[in-house]
Amino acid sequence: MANARALDKRRKSIKNIRKITRTMELIATARFKQAMDRASAATAYTNRVTGLVANLANTGMELSHPLLESRDNPRTSLQLVLTSNRGLCGGYNGNVLRLASDNQQQLADEFPTSLMEVSGKRGVTYFENRQTALAETFLQFEDKPKYEEVEQIANRYLDAYATGMIDRLDVCYTKFSSIARQEATVETLLPLGTLVDGPGDLEQGSEGQGEIEFLPSAESILQEVVPMSFKVKLFKCFLDAAVSEQVARMVAMKSATENADELIRELSMTYNRARQGQITGELLEVMGGVEALKN
Amino acid sequence: MATSSHLEEGIDVTSGARVLECVVVTPEETAIQTPAQFIALPLFDGEIGIAPGRAPMIGRLGYGEMRIREGGNLYRYYVDGGFVEVVGNMVSILTQRAIPADQLDEAEIEAALSDAKKKPANSPETMAIRDRAVAQASGQRWVARRER
Repeated sequence: MANARALDKRRKSIKNIRKITRTMELIATARFKQAMDRASAATAYTNRVTGLVANLANTGMELSHPLLESRDNPRTSLQLVLTSNRGLCGGYNGNVLRLASDNQQQLADEFPTSLMEVSGKRGVTYFENRQTALAETFLQFEDKPKYEEVEQIANRYLDAYATGMIDRLDVCYTKFSSIARQEATVETLLPLGTLVDGPGDLEQGSEGQGEIEFLPSAESILQEVVPMSFKVKLFKCFLDAAVSEQVARMVAMKSATENADELIRELSMTYNRARQGQITGELLEVMGGVEALKN
Repeated sequence: MATSSHLEEGIDVTSGARVLECVVVTPEETAIQTPAQFIALPLFDGEIGIAPGRAPMIGRLGYGEMRIREGGNLYRYYVDGGFVEVVGNMVSILTQRAIPADQLDEAEIEAALSDAKKKPANSPETMAIRDRAVAQASGQRWVARRER
């Protein structure tokens, strides 16, 4: 029979771990809500930009911009991988990194030079261990990525794309589709392809409000709207990654807490049995002594 | 809603009941949501004033000062490019940043401006990049200086 005191010690340490995982779960839940609010604020912005593009498209103007068209003989590709700074979030980082490695392999086949930039300590250590050269690393993004910081990166990409330093930009991140569903995805952000996601978006612009005046001109607005929607898309990637990270941590910590509960229950049972066994043993000893004295 | 401010900006007092609904949206948040009697915005090629009853329009914003007059109050912000959309009495302003004028730091702006001026400009693309950075910094400086 196991030692009752050793069992009790183990149970106590599991109880402490359970406290920690439970707290982390609660923190992740709170952070998830905040991150979610920020993401929906960004969605409001994106919707307005989409509406604007729809209005532009309604004028019958051809939507063409250097950022929308792919280049004839591309030379350099760049992949940005978004991972988290902290662990304990289940398969979150693993999924992204696996997909990123595959995609990087593909890019390396297609392009003479393929660069990679990584955000998040987990991703950085992963690629460092595999001796992959990283062009740039970012560690400043936590659960609340700031638009200003993302914008700096976006501007750098835009400049690099305009001057021909890069010909394609892929972002590998965890897309948040619902609280029960987050998926690691690769999105090509440069060239941007189309401005509107589906033909359905084009309808909403014409609400029978008559002629819209464009100042200074529709072309000039297009010049600005394209880089802007790129920046917002990149920002959305960062926000999605942040939200998904919190969800992943929430789920991982929830199951860790449940697991700890299970362990505690089993240990309690073994402990009680061991203690009862000990008591019975002692009683038998005492009774044996009494019997011996009687004789 | 009819206050003396209507007269100051030269709006017909008879339509004083009409106010603009002004919404300023940045990618991070809805920065401002307020009724307004008059809004002045920096367009790409000059300033525009929007009063109630304006015809629908979409304008490209430059880098400069946005003024919102609401009742007796005047709010001043620096807006960092973007768009303005006027539909009916709804004015939506989409911008990357809307910074209250009193929160601008002039020393920081000066540094950004001199940095921007030092950027290389040896091809049309790099020139466009530099011009943009210079325009942003000098727009900020202009708003910050008016605050004093």
